[in-house]
Amino acid sequence: MAELVADCKDAEMKVNNQTNPSMALASNVATFAYDIPDFTHDLPTGSTDDLSYLPPPPPSEWEMDLPPPPPDPEMSEEKDESKDKVDQIKLALDKMKEAKVKKLIVKIHMTDNSTKTLMVDERQTVRDILDNLFEKTHCDCSIEWCLYEENPELQIERFFEDHENIVEILSVWTRDSENKIRFLKKNEKYAVFKNPQNFYMARKGSADTKDMNEKSKVALLEQSFCGASVVVPELEGAIFLKEDGKKSWKKRYFLLRASGIYYVPKGKTKTSRDLACFIQFDNVNVYYGMQYKVKYKAPTDHCFVLKHPQIQKESQYIKYLCCEDPWVLHQWVTGIRIAKYGKILYDNYKSAVHKAGLASRWSSLSSSSAPSTKGESQGNGHIPQNVTNVSSSFSDAWKRGEAVGKDKQQPIDIRKTEQKISHPAPTKQPPPAPVRVSSNMHAAATPPLPLKAKPAVTNRPPPTTTISQWGDDFLPPPPPELLDTPPDFLPPPPPSFNSGSDYPAPPQFTNVGGTGGAPPPPPPPPPPATPSPTSAPPQLPIKKQPPNPPKRRDSTGLRSNAPNSLMANGGGAGGQPDFMSDLMNALQKKRSTTA
Amino acid sequence: MAGIKTSSGEYIDSSWELRVHIEDLGEDADPVTLRVTGETHIGGVILQVVEKTGISRDWSDHALWWKQKRQWLLKTNWTLDKYGIQADALLLFMPQHKPVILSLPNQRSLRIRVCFSGTTFSSCAEVCKVLGVRHPEELSFLKAPEEREKKKKKEKDPVTQEIFDLTSFQPSNFNTTQVQVGGIPSHFMGSPEGQECYKALSVCRTGLTPEDVQKRYKPTTVVDKSAIHARWLDSSKSLMQQGVQEGDRLWLRFKYFTFHDLDPKMDAVRINLIFEQARWAVLLEETECTEEEMMVFAALQYHVNKLSVNADNCMHLPNDPALQDLDEALSHLEVKMEASTASEALEGIELEPELQENLRVFRPRKMTLKGYKQNWVMLKGTNMSCYKSKEEARGEPLIMLALKGCEVIPEVNVASQKFCIRLLVPSPEGMNEVYLRCENEQQYARWMAGSRLAAKGRTMGDSSYDAEVQSILSFLDLQKSNQNAAAESINMLALVSPRYQKKLKLKQLSPRILEAYQNIAQISLVEAKLRFIQDWQSLPDFGISYFVVRFKGARRDEILGIASNRLIRIDLNVGDVVKTWMYNNMKQWNVNWDIRQVSIEFTENINVAFTCVSAPCKVVHEYIGGYIFMSTRAKAGSKGLNEELFHKLTGGHEAL
Repeated sequence: MAELVADCKDAEMKVNNQTNPSMALASNVATFAYDIPDFTHDLPTGSTDDLSYLPPPPPSEWEMDLPPPPPDPEMSEEKDESKDKVDQIKLALDKMKEAKVKKLIVKIHMTDNSTKTLMVDERQTVRDILDNLFEKTHCDCSIEWCLYEENPELQIERFFEDHENIVEILSVWTRDSENKIRFLKKNEKYAVFKNPQNFYMARKGSADTKDMNEKSKVALLEQSFCGASVVVPELEGAIFLKEDGKKSWKKRYFLLRASGIYYVPKGKTKTSRDLACFIQFDNVNVYYGMQYKVKYKAPTDHCFVLKHPQIQKESQYIKYLCCEDPWVLHQWVTGIRIAKYGKILYDNYKSAVHKAGLASRWSSLSSSSAPSTKGESQGNGHIPQNVTNVSSSFSDAWKRGEAVGKDKQQPIDIRKTEQKISHPAPTKQPPPAPVRVSSNMHAAATPPLPLKAKPAVTNRPPPTTTISQWGDDFLPPPPPELLDTPPDFLPPPPPSFNSGSDYPAPPQFTNVGGTGGAPPPPPPPPPPATPSPTSAPPQLPIKKQPPNPPKRRDSTGLRSNAPNSLMANGGGAGGQPDFMSDLMNALQKKRSTTA
Repeated sequence: MAGIKTSSGEYIDSSWELRVHIEDLGEDADPVTLRVTGETHIGGVILQVVEKTGISRDWSDHALWWKQKRQWLLKTNWTLDKYGIQADALLLFMPQHKPVILSLPNQRSLRIRVCFSGTTFSSCAEVCKVLGVRHPEELSFLKAPEEREKKKKKEKDPVTQEIFDLTSFQPSNFNTTQVQVGGIPSHFMGSPEGQECYKALSVCRTGLTPEDVQKRYKPTTVVDKSAIHARWLDSSKSLMQQGVQEGDRLWLRFKYFTFHDLDPKMDAVRINLIFEQARWAVLLEETECTEEEMMVFAALQYHVNKLSVNADNCMHLPNDPALQDLDEALSHLEVKMEASTASEALEGIELEPELQENLRVFRPRKMTLKGYKQNWVMLKGTNMSCYKSKEEARGEPLIMLALKGCEVIPEVNVASQKFCIRLLVPSPEGMNEVYLRCENEQQYARWMAGSRLAAKGRTMGDSSYDAEVQSILSFLDLQKSNQNAAAESINMLALVSPRYQKKLKLKQLSPRILEAYQNIAQISLVEAKLRFIQDWQSLPDFGISYFVVRFKGARRDEILGIASNRLIRIDLNVGDVVKTWMYNNMKQWNVNWDIRQVSIEFTENINVAFTCVSAPCKVVHEYIGGYIFMSTRAKAGSKGLNEELFHKLTGGHEAL
C-alpha cells in the first residue's frame, strides 16, 4: 500500500512539474483527420512522460469526492493524511486514464437542416450527447429525442440507444463514410414503455391498440423488466427473408426468443426443440431498411436489417427481413432491442423521463424568476435575461426551423458528417479540475476568446466546443458546498457572440442556478453557416488558455471539488468513485479496529 | 385437576371414560383410560395421559390427534365439550414432529423431522429454516408419485442414493434467532455429518451419467406436465390431515417461480436448489428450449460441475469482516492499477507479448481452389498480420486484420489432429473469413487464446491469457478422453436432454459446448448458477404450471397455464395460446367448492369460470392466490413472512 502511494505520488509530482511544458507540447499537436489506425498510433502512449499530456480534468472528480466522508471540520489528522494519499492515488490514476481518452468531433444534423458540431470523448454515452444537445437547442427535452444513424449506402437507419458509446459506434465507420447522425424525435424509441400492453399483451399480429391504466402499465413493465431476467415479448409470425445473394424474398415463420431469432424449418412444428436458429443478437444491431421496395424489390417497405455494426457496405452477412405492415415491423424491432439490451433499455427510459421531467420543472421555475422570458418557448425560460434579444429571437427561429424540419421530415441538404480526432483536446479543455478552473478562467480569460473567435469566420469550431464544454460543466447539479459560494462557480457568461455585454450576467445566474438546482444553459449557438471544423486555425484562440490552469490547479484544483465536466462521464469512470470509497471505508474500518 | 377429582368416582353421572392410544407404545398396546368430564381441558387430558404412562421423558412435542375427525387437538385450553369429543372418540397421543424422507430438487434425499400438526405451509417453512433456505413461501411439498413409480421402481431403487439424515436437528429448536456462520446455518457446523449434509445441499451434484437423465420420467405433452400438480399438498392443512405417514417420501420443490431477492451471500443452498430444479427442468424438457439454448445450459452446467468438483473447501470460514473489506479494497486497487498501468498507460513501454509463428492460412474465396498456404503469422496487440515468410515480416503484410469484435470459432478434431481456428472478422465490406491451421494442441491453444482475447479487445498481456490457454488445453484433453471412452469426471452427454443425446454425437456436442463455454469460463460458481437460473427464466415456457381444465360452456378440455403474472388459456391439441389474462386486471376470484368451479372476474366485465380436471381445484386456487401473495412481497420489503395473508389468499372453506 505504502509503495503504491509513493508510486502514485511520484507520478503525480511528475505530472505537476511538467504541467507547463506539457501545455506547450500539446499546443503543437494539430488536429488530424479521423481515421482509426492513425488514431491509435497517434495516441499519447509510450513513456511515462506522456502523462504530461496533461489530461483534461478527470470528469468524475467531484463525484468521487462525494463518497468519502463528509468534510468534517474536526477530521482527524490521520484521516486527512489518508485522504490526501487517496486523493493522490486517485489523481494519478485519473491522469493516466485521461491521457488515453479518445475524442472525436462529431457533426450532428438537426431537424432544420442545420448542423451542430460537438466534441465527444470516448466516455460519453448517447445520453450525455442528448443532454448536451438539449442544452444547446432548448428543445422540449422530451424522451423521443434521439441520435439517429443513417447509412445512405445501405439505406438503413437506427436510433442509438441512450447507453451506447458514441465514440465506439463512430469508430467503425469508414473514413469516407456517407453516414450521418441526426438529432430528431422518434416515437418508436420508447413506445414500448409508454404502452407496454401493445407489445406484451397484444394478440399475435393484431395491431389493436388497447389502453391500460398507468398503474397496470407500470406493473407490467416491472414484471417484464425488473425480474431476474427480462421478459421478451412473445413474437412470432411469417416474415419475408431476402435470400442470400438473390433478389427474391421468401416467407418464413420466425419466432423471437431471448436467445435469438428462430425459424420453423420445413416440415417441422414450432415447438422449441424443432426450431432452427436464424440469428443471435450478440454481434448484430437492428436497423430499419428504407425504401427497400425500390432498392431490393421487397414485398413492402416495412423492412428491418440485422448486421454487424462494422459492416458498412453490401454483404452476404447482412440479413434483410420484410414485414407485412408497419406495426409488425415495430413489434419486431422493439422485441429485438429488448432481447438484445434487456433492462438497460428500461433504465434508459427512466433516466430519459427523469431528464424530461427535470427540464419541464426547471423551465417553469426559471420562467417565474425571469419574467422577461416568460411565456417564451420551453427552453427559453431559463435563458438569463441579459442575453435577451439575440438568443430569444434565435430560439424562435430555431423553433420555426424545427417545425419546418418536422414537416419535411428530412432535411434535404446532405452533408457529410465530419469526424475529427481532436487530439489536442487537452488544450481545449483546461487541465485538471476543469470546471472550477474554467469558471475562474473564463472570468479572466473569456473575453479574448470571443473576440478572437468573432473576426475569423473559419473559427466556428472553437466556440462550439467551448460551449459544449460549458454545457457539460453544468450538467451535474452543483455539489452542495458549491451552492454556498455561488459566485465562484458562477457560470461565466456564455461565450456567445454578444461577447462583452454578457459580463454582468453572473449574479443573475446565481439565482437561477441556485433555485433551479441546475445551471442555466448557454444561449444557443447560432446555426453554423459553413462548418469547417477541420481547420487548424481554430486552435489558436484556445491555445491561449492553457497557461491559466496551473495556477488554478494549485489553489482549487487539488481540492478537486470542482463540479467536473461531463457528468456524463460518470459512465466511463464509474468504477473509480466506487473503488475509492471502498478503499476509504476499508481504511477507516481498519483504523477503527486497530485503534 | 378436574380429572383427578372425577376419576375418584365422586361425580359418577357427569364423568365418563376416555381412551387414549399412545403411539410410542406401539400399535397393539392397550389404550390409557381416563375419567373425564366435558369440562376437562385438553391440557388436563394430556397431563393425565402422561402421568398414567408412568414414563418420564420429554413429552413436549406430543399432542392429541382425533382419528375419526382427522383433526389435531392443539388448543390445550379448550374443553372436550368445545371440541365436541365424547366417549366414542378415538384419540391418539403422538409426537407432532416425525421423520419423513424428503426428496430435494437436486434429486438427493434427506431424512428429516417435519411437523405433522401445523399447516403444510408452516411445516415447509420449518424445514426450509433447517435447510437454510430463505423465502420458504416459494416452496411446498408434493406427495411422491406412486403408480408411475411401480414401472420404474426396479430401475430406480438401486440408484436410491445415500439419504442424509437430518433427524437429529429438531426444527422446533430453531424457532429462535438462527445463528449463521458465514451464511451457513450454525447447526450444520457442529458435526462432520452436518457439514457433509450442508455440502449435499449447497454443492451441485456432479458426476451425472447420460443414463441418469434418460431413465427419469420425462413428461412429453402438456397433459403430462399437468399431472404433477395433482400431487401438491394442501398448504392450509396439516400433513397428518392429508394422510402423510411417518417415513413417507415427500418432494420438496419450488412451487412458485418468482424467486425473491436472491442473494449469493445468504442463499447458497437456495440458489443451488433452484439451480438444480432448473437443471432438471431443462434436462427433462419440462421447460423446452432450442438447441442453441441447450448448448448454453450445458456449458453452464459444465462450468458449475467443474468448479464444484474443485471447490472442496466450500466450508472455509470468512475472516474478520473488516480485514476482508480491506483486502477486497486493496485487491481492487491492485486490479485497478494493473488495468490502468500495465495494460493501458504503460502498454507501449512494456514489451507486449506477441505470437509469431508459421501457420497454415486459408482464406475462402469464391472461385478459388487454393488451399492452405504456409504463412508467417503475427499476433500483436489485437491485430493479426500474415506475411509470406518470416524474412518478409518487415514489409507489407499479405493480410492485416484487427481482431477486435471478431468471431473466433474452433474447428477441432482431436482424432484426426485437426486444430483449426476460424476467424470471422467484421469489416465495412462484410466479414473476412480466415482459417488458421495449427500443428498441435499447444500451438492451437496459444493462438486460440490470443485470438479470443483480441476479439474481446484485450491483448496477450492480459492476466487471463494463461488461464485461457490452460482451459483450452484441458478442454482438448477432455475431448481426447471422451474419445477413448475413458472414465472422466464430466460426461458431456449428461449435460443435455436425451433428445440431444440422441441427435448429436459426442464429438459434435463437445465443441459446441466448448464454444458456449468460452463465453462464461471466467464467471464464478455462484454467478454460473445464477446465470443458469436467469437463462431458464427467460425461456418462453418458464414458470408456467399447466392444468387441464374445462371452461364453463366449453365442450372439450383445455389447458390453463398459471404463471407468476398471468393466466393463459391454451389449446390442448395445438398448444397455441388462446387468451391471456393478467392478474393486474383481476378483480376477484371465487371458488365454488361444491361444484369445484373457479370463477374469476376481471376488469371490463370479463368473467371466466372453469373446473379443474387434472388436479383438485384447491391447487389451482392456491396457485392463483399464491402468485398474488408473491407479488405483494416486493412492496412489503423485508418484513418477515406474512403467513396470515398467505392463508387468506390461498386458504379455502372446502365443503366437507
